[in-house]
This record gives sequence, C-alpha cells and structure tokens, in this order.
Amino acid sequence: MTDSQPALQPLRPPRALLLRRLVQHRGARASLILLLLLATLVTVVPMISPYEYDEEDLNLIGQPSQPERAHWFGTDELGQDALTRVLYGGRISLAVGLASALVATLLGTAVGALAGFFGGLIDGVLMRFTDVVLSIPLLPLVLLLSGLFRPGLPLLVMSIGGLTWMGTARVVRSQFLSLRELEFVDAARALGAGNGRLIVRHILPNAAAPIIVSATLAVGSSIMLESALSFLGFGVQPPTPTWGNLLKTASPWIGAAPWLALPPGLLIFATVLSVNFLGDGLREALEAEQQ
Amino acid sequence: MSLQFLLRRLLGMVPLLLGISLLLFVIIHLAPGGPLDAYVDNPSVTKEALEQIKVAYGLDQPLPVQYLKWVKSMAQGVWGYSIRSGRPVTQEIAERLPATLLLGGTSLALSMALALPIGVVTAALRRTAWDHVLTFLSFAGISIPVFWLALMMQLLFAISLGWLPVAGYETIGAGGLTDRLAHLAMPAVVLSLATVAAWSRYLRASMVDALGQDYVRTAYAKGHSATGVLIKHALRNALLPVVTVVSMEMAGLISGAVITETVFAWPGIGRLFVESMDGRDYPVLMGLMMMGSAALVFSNLAADIVYALIDPRIRYD
Amino acid sequence: MLALAAAALAEPPADAAPPEPIRGGTLTVGLPYDIDTLNVYSTAELGDVEAAVVEGLLVPDEHARYVPALATEVPTPQNGGIQLTGGGTAMRVVYHLRPGVKWHDGVAFTSADVKFTWETVRDPRFLAESKDGSQDVTSIDTPDDLTVVVNYRAISPAFASTLFTFGILPRHLLEGHDLNHDVYNQKPVGTGPFKVSEFRRGQYVVLDRNPFYWRRDERGGSLPYIDRVIFKIIPSSNTLGALIRAGEVLLAPRIPYMLAKQLQGARNIELVSGPSLGWIHLDFGLRPESRLRDPVLRRAIAQAVNRAALVKAAGGYPQPIGSPIVPLLEALHDASPEASAPAYDPDAANQALDAAGYRRGADGYRSKDGVSLNFWITTRSGEIDGEIGEQIIMAELKAIGIRVSADNKTGIAYREARYHGDFDLLYTRWVTAADPVYSVFYGSHGPLNGQGYASAQLDAALERMETSIEPAPRRDAASEVQRILAHDLPAVPLLNMVSIAAKTRRLKNFTINPTNMTDFAGIARWYLEPPAGSVP
Repeated sequence: MTDSQPALQPLRPPRALLLRRLVQHRGARASLILLLLLATLVTVVPMISPYEYDEEDLNLIGQPSQPERAHWFGTDELGQDALTRVLYGGRISLAVGLASALVATLLGTAVGALAGFFGGLIDGVLMRFTDVVLSIPLLPLVLLLSGLFRPGLPLLVMSIGGLTWMGTARVVRSQFLSLRELEFVDAARALGAGNGRLIVRHILPNAAAPIIVSATLAVGSSIMLESALSFLGFGVQPPTPTWGNLLKTASPWIGAAPWLALPPGLLIFATVLSVNFLGDGLREALEAEQQ
Repeated sequence: MSLQFLLRRLLGMVPLLLGISLLLFVIIHLAPGGPLDAYVDNPSVTKEALEQIKVAYGLDQPLPVQYLKWVKSMAQGVWGYSIRSGRPVTQEIAERLPATLLLGGTSLALSMALALPIGVVTAALRRTAWDHVLTFLSFAGISIPVFWLALMMQLLFAISLGWLPVAGYETIGAGGLTDRLAHLAMPAVVLSLATVAAWSRYLRASMVDALGQDYVRTAYAKGHSATGVLIKHALRNALLPVVTVVSMEMAGLISGAVITETVFAWPGIGRLFVESMDGRDYPVLMGLMMMGSAALVFSNLAADIVYALIDPRIRYD
Repeated sequence: MLALAAAALAEPPADAAPPEPIRGGTLTVGLPYDIDTLNVYSTAELGDVEAAVVEGLLVPDEHARYVPALATEVPTPQNGGIQLTGGGTAMRVVYHLRPGVKWHDGVAFTSADVKFTWETVRDPRFLAESKDGSQDVTSIDTPDDLTVVVNYRAISPAFASTLFTFGILPRHLLEGHDLNHDVYNQKPVGTGPFKVSEFRRGQYVVLDRNPFYWRRDERGGSLPYIDRVIFKIIPSSNTLGALIRAGEVLLAPRIPYMLAKQLQGARNIELVSGPSLGWIHLDFGLRPESRLRDPVLRRAIAQAVNRAALVKAAGGYPQPIGSPIVPLLEALHDASPEASAPAYDPDAANQALDAAGYRRGADGYRSKDGVSLNFWITTRSGEIDGEIGEQIIMAELKAIGIRVSADNKTGIAYREARYHGDFDLLYTRWVTAADPVYSVFYGSHGPLNGQGYASAQLDAALERMETSIEPAPRRDAASEVQRILAHDLPAVPLLNMVSIAAKTRRLKNFTINPTNMTDFAGIARWYLEPPAGSVP
C-alpha cells in the first residue's frame, strides 16, 4: 500500500487499545453486556416461546390478566402473551433503531463529506439545504410524514433516518474542513489519488471517531422516536408489536393493570440508556487519544 | 461585530425561510384528501356552493399559484382563515400560544435552574462518586420515554396521592397563582426532564474543556480560589456553546409538546397541530410550521449574536 | 332491549314517593372530543352542549320516540298534524307552537324563527354537516305567531329526524348575518334550560341556568334544577378516566367500553348503560377489481367472525346482531334467520372456501388462480374499541386462511377512505336518528355508500320503506330490506352498541338517550345531591 505512509498521517489509536479503554469505562461495559443479552433474547424468542406474538386466548379476552405460570408477564386485553410480545417488540424496535441510525449516518456522512471536502458552492448549497430541514420542528414533521402514507417498516425507517441526519452532517463537515488541510492529503494527491479515493480511503477513516459516536447516539434517539410515533398511533400497526405500540395499548390500563406498561417502558429506558452510555464511552475512549 | 455582518445574516434568512415554506407546502399537499372533503358527499351542499367555497379559499387554483399567493399574503401578515373553524389563523394560534409559552417557559426555567448546578458540579467533581451518580441520572433522564413518565406521574401524584390535579390548565371559576402552579407542575417537570439531562451533559463537557485551558491554569497559579476560578472563568466560557443549544430549545418549545399536552389536556400549540393535521386544515398547518421554523431560524441568529457579543475573540467573516 | 331501557331509567318503584329534587350545584362533564363549533347544524361531532342550550320543535326521548318540545304535540295523521296533499303524493305538516317561550335574551319565540331556520339551513352558502330534510320542504307558511305549516314535496315519514329537531335559530339575532362566521358558533342563543356563559376553545364550555326556562316539573316548579354545567374537553381517554376517579368530572357520556371496564367498582361512580341506535359492522369494499365481489368469499368471512369474542373484548356490553336495523327499533327490526347475516361457523367457512377453489398454501393462507387472499382492514385510528375489535377479526380471518393487515386512518383521511370506497374491509359504526333512513347507507346513490354496493331490488324496497306513513307496509318493506341485505352481504352487521355513561352517584334522574340528540336532551330534570356531610 504505497500511499499510506505513517509519518504523514494523523495518529490513530490501534483497535486493541480502543477496545481496552472502552471496557474500562464502567458504563460502557455494563451497556455492552446488556445490549448483547437483549439482542440474543430477541433473536431466539421464536424458538423458545410457546406462543405466537398474535395468538389470542379467547378465554382471557376482555382485560389484561395478571402474571402467572402460564404467562410470566401476564396477557394483554386480547389474551396475547405479554412476555412474547415484548420480546418480539424488541426485534422491531431494535431493528428500526439500527436501520434508521444507519440511514441517518450514511446520509449525514455523505452530505457532510461532500460539503466539507469540496467547499465553495457545493458546501453552500448542501449546508443551506441542511439548514432548511433542521429549521423545521422534528416531531411535527415526522408526524406529518407518517400521517400521509400507508404504514410500513421501510417508510418508517426512511422517515426517521431521513430527518435525523443533519447533526452528523455538520460534524462530518467540520471534520473534513480541517482534515483536508493536513499534509497527508497533499501527499496522497501527489501520489495520484483522485477525489473519491481521497474522501473514502484517506480522510474518512480519520473522521471516523465522531461518526461512530454520532451513529451510536442516533440508535438511541431513533428508538425513542419510533416509540413516540407508535404511541401517537403512527408507525407500526398491531398486531405487530413494537415497544412503542405496546405502551400505547397498555396505557388505558395503567390504573387497573400497571404490570402491562412496565416491561416495554423499562426496556426502552434500559436500551436507550445503554446505547447512550456506550456512545459516551466510545467518545471518551476516542477523545483520550487527542489529549 | 459589524452591522454589515448583521445585515447580511438577516438577508440570508429570507431564502432560508422561503426554502422552508416551499418544502412544507409540498409535503402538506402530498397528503391525500383536502379540507372540503366533509362536504363533497353531502347531498345538501350543491356543486355550485362547493365551487364557491373553493374559490373563496383559493383552492381551485393550480398549486404553484396557491403557493405564491400564500407567500405574498404571509409576507403581508395575512395568514388566512382556518377551514375548520372559520376564524383567522392568527387568532387560532394566538389563543393557544399563551398556554404553550407558559408551559415552555416554565420548563425552560426549570431546566436551566437544574442543569447549571448539575453541570458545574459534575465537571468540578469529575470521576468522583457525585459525578457518577449525577451522570447516571442525567443519562437516565434522556432515556425515559416522555409518555411513560407522564402517565406514571399522573398515576402517582394525581390518582394515588391526590396531591396534584390530573390535567387541565386551571380549575374553572377558581384560578389564582397556587391553582395555576398546581396544574403546571407535572407537565413542566415532564417536559424539562430530558432537557435538564442533555444540558447538564453539554455543560459538563464544555466546562471540562474550559477547565483544561491555559488561562484557567494561569488563574489557579495566580492564587485565585477554586470556586472563583470555576465561576468567573470556566463557567463564563463554558456557557457559550450552551447558548446555542438553549436558544434552539426555546424556539423548539413554540412547536408545542404534543404528547405532554395530550396526556395533561394542556390547551397548547401541539394539540392544535394534531387537530389541524386530522382535518387537513392547511392554512393553520402552514401557519404553525412556519412559525416554528421562523422561531428556530431567528433563535439561531440570536445565539450567534450573543456569542459574538460575549466573546470578542469570535469573528465572523 | 326493553329490559335495558328500563334499567337505564333507574327510577324508584312507582308506589314509592319520588324524592324531592334538590336545587343547585355544578355539574362537570367530561367530553372525549374537541368541540369544533357550537352550531348544532355545522358541527361534525354530536351536539352534547347544544342539546342543553338549543331546542327544536320535537325531541326524541330515551325510548327513541318523539315527544313535543317547542311544539305542543307531535304531528300525526290522526291529530291532523300530517295531511296528505297533491292527491296523496305529497304532505304537509302543521306544528302548533308553545306560547310564552322566550329566547335567552328575553325576546319572544315565534313561528318566524322556525321559517327562518329552514331558510338558513338550506341556504347553499351555509356550510353544514346536517342539512337533511331541508331540501324536501317546498315552502313554509306562518298564518300566525304560533302556527307553522310546512309543505313537503313528497311523503317523508322521517321528517322529524334533522331539521327543526336539531334546533331553532333566533331570527332576531341572525337575520342578515353570515352564519359561517357568526359569533353564534361560539355562543349559541336558544330557548333551552341553560345558556352559554363562556366557551374556551380546546378547554371548556360553561353553561348557566336559564331562569326563564318555559318547562316546569310535575309540581309546577321551575326547571332546570342544576345551576351550572361545565363541559371539560378531554381528548385523552386515560386522562378522562383519571379525572372521573378523582371526582373532577361527575359525568362522562358515551365512554369507550375499555374505560367502562376499568371504572367498574370505582368508588362513588356508577355506570349506566342504555341501548343505542348505533351499530358496528364490517363493510366490504366492492370496487370493480376487488376479490370481495365474490359472494362466496363474503359469506365465508361472515361465518368466520365470532361475535361472542367481540362482545367479550368490549367488556360484555354490546349485543350481537345480524341486521343493520337495531332491535330497539321494534317496529322495523326483523329477527328471523332469513333476515340475519349467517351465524358463526368457521368449519362451514373453510369448506365453502375449499370448494370454491381457494386453496391453502404452505404458509396457511389461501389463494386462487395464483392470487393470494390478502386484504387491508381499516378502522378509525385512536378509537380503542375499534382497534381491539379489528385485531380480533384479523385473527379470526387468519384462522380461515385469509391474511389481513391493519391500515388505520384518522380524521379526513379516514373519511376519504370511507366515502370513496378506498378500503378492502372497513370496521366501523353508524349511529342513526330515531327515524333512520337506510338508503343513505345502502341505496345505490346513497351519499354514505362508499362501498360501491348497488341493487335495484334493494333500492325499490328502501323506497317503499321510506315513503310509507302506515306502520304495516313499512314493516313489510323493512323485512324485505333486511332479507336482501342478509343475502347480498355488502356488510356484516356485528354488534349493537350500548351507550355507557359513567356518573357520580350524586347525579339523579339521568337517563341514556340512544339517539343522536344525546343524553343532554333531558338535562332539565337532572339534579345533584350535595356531597355527603355537607349542609343541604
């Protein structure tokens, strides 16, 4: 690899060191464990649960029933097993969170990289566009979009991802603005690298730190946004469970059957908390290098 | 900071606002159905009457024409009439605004009052037990779903304990400061929680940054007390980036807190938005979204101005 | 049905001396919807507040029978109030108005107000939801202040259903005004037991007692008994429930079954239920390319639905029905099997589908000619009862091999879909007036017929039903209508709704009104006992 000469590149911490620092951060460590545990549970639930997520028990229809041996978390008002549903709900909520964060990160990185690298007119146009979208209040805009079209997962992921990329774009842009002035870029260019190659193989890896942090935090906010949407009745429709719409169906019963609202609420809380701690840990681990 | 800069920024806002309005106009009109659908199938409303109404609201024109007309009238301060209630859009919004501002303002003040000490303490005492506890609480605050918290609080404080009223703006016929505060308590706390958490994290980060700066070390070396250094130097400089965040949040409150308003039956802008969306009340929707966007844009500018005023080192080219 | 109606009355046995009603007090009511306007003709909601403020010539009582209000008697052919004209093809209705009635501002109520009401409602410039009946009137004569002669262009047995029953408008305040933008929409002036003191949009309406109200009780005492009524606007069902439990709301009409379930057993609260003229049904979208045009498929779907599960999910309150004409309408309801939709029989449904060539695939879902049975079901978003019922139907259809996914809509989008037939399956409800007209739903040109169902035979039967004044021919026509609908199955009637109100035990004389005139049509007689331990 003739164009990566260590002397002309900014220092990047080796991966092993990064991982060690991360694990030393207590919050991040606990979060990783929790998230992995959760991911495992939601993946295996089809194999381990005796119930389907939309299996209604006609004897129990009418109101939620209490936790008991046959139903560890009780059932909802349609006689569906609450534990099964909350785990299946995790599949969707986590998937939507990850997918939306991915979309937002890709979009934001693309916009930010182009704006920061080329500068000038391209930067101006892209940033103006970013400002326009940023200037519109988020929840009303997402509500508006969701209310317009037929419900469906791809639409949901596109809406959330398509409206939360702006922060990443700004961060990536400022990274590119400063990084492109560094010597290693001139060196690579002198060796014949084209713009595309410069962006992707040279500058981008060095801008990775804030992107990763952004992406991690985006997962948390996407999960929150999805649950807010489902709670307001947009987003994923029953019987497909998500943590948000499970909370929605549980909320009329909060006085009479509070046990129904606790698991989805707690899981959203725990997941978002863990994601935030993880992101924080990542940021600290990466920043420690820059001291 | 020059007048020239100010003027240029203000002028730059015009295309921004136009861009926003165009985007919103397009999105809103993508929705199937229009506000007059209620009457289309009513046999008592004749075709001629329907046409007349369409013309009166300008709904018969092609979309680009509608857009331009709308821009013109907005610029003149005429925001049109709500199709659902027949009243001027400005009146509809103005009626709900005080409640939103009251709730928003209170939660903002609450957030600032809590975030400031938390941010400072966690920065000063970083890596101690206090820091860990408060940091954990901050993260927790950002991670709790708003509606869940609202419902739990309602269950606890209003239904079980009976300390606070369940919902609403005021007790009808009564009123007075204590009554107002009692109704405000839960919604304001719910709204402010996430912001307290976010701001205290932000403040901590920028305080830590500031504390590491040379001028702070110089101050210490010169013999200033720790608290003095903390407040006089670090805090003042750490507040700068927070100004931006706070101002954006202030503007965001204009859009109303949809979920909080629904759970607590608070008569604010957020609910007006949802009702207008249901009824495809375009004039009100446009008015609301533009107001929210304009607030964000202006607050951005205000933040930059405050920034520049406070720190003379900041130059805009 | 009669038993339910009796239960709703909740009056003491006839031989006990009725307790002396207590005067005074404030009644707080929780309304589950946001009020758009207080003009009963133009509102898209039910007119709860309006029913306490504005009166009409007639009003339907808790048995869905018309009784006089501002008129002195109900016009019938027997008392000369209804006269056939034009050689028996048209009719004229004569009302005798009550003397001495005053508007809230003291001006006398006269026949000129009635005529003005008709002219205003039918004016094409007035944007209103409820103009029914105004087009059927050709002219109105007012020979004196207390007599109104209404000339109809045809025979309309349902003449009392909207116009004049909804309310009379005050001519002296509205003549020459544009009713679309008048202050009347925020502060209606009527002749009723209460007048509007304050209306805060999105929050509440305050009504105060009308001291000059014309109606008296049996002892000759003045009505109403209650001093003040506050309607609170509470769109969130959870919040409403919390307010009821906390005693901050004393009456909540038409609460969702879910909420009723949760309030059972709450202290100081009682649930009152009464029959309703509303019914819940599953409509089929019959667009030309829809697979649901196959009657075998529709019949199988009808047999797959277990009404018992739906009733159970709704707390046991609603009643299963097989015909769109609800049992409360005793004169028209036909309970015979030929007039009812098929009963629950999933085995028969499976057999019929197999025989018709809808084969099950490996995933359990059926298909025919390479096209799988895959439908959208729509109901109104945010209505908990509807969403739960929808889920049950989806599960039941899955059991016979039909895949159904939810596509719920809200507000205008829902109306769009409903009225333009933009749906496969629609789980919805209608509430009718005391004199229901079914051609609006099932007639080929019915304005509310979004499905695309058309049957000449049904149109003819509906025509006969809606133009017969005499009860016997009307009943026969109604039976035929129900038989045709049971055979064609454009929709599957499922449940007869029950109206449930949650109220404090202190509120007395409250009765459920099953019609669209709302319970508040009877508010003049309600009274509040003072809270326990307080000085009367």
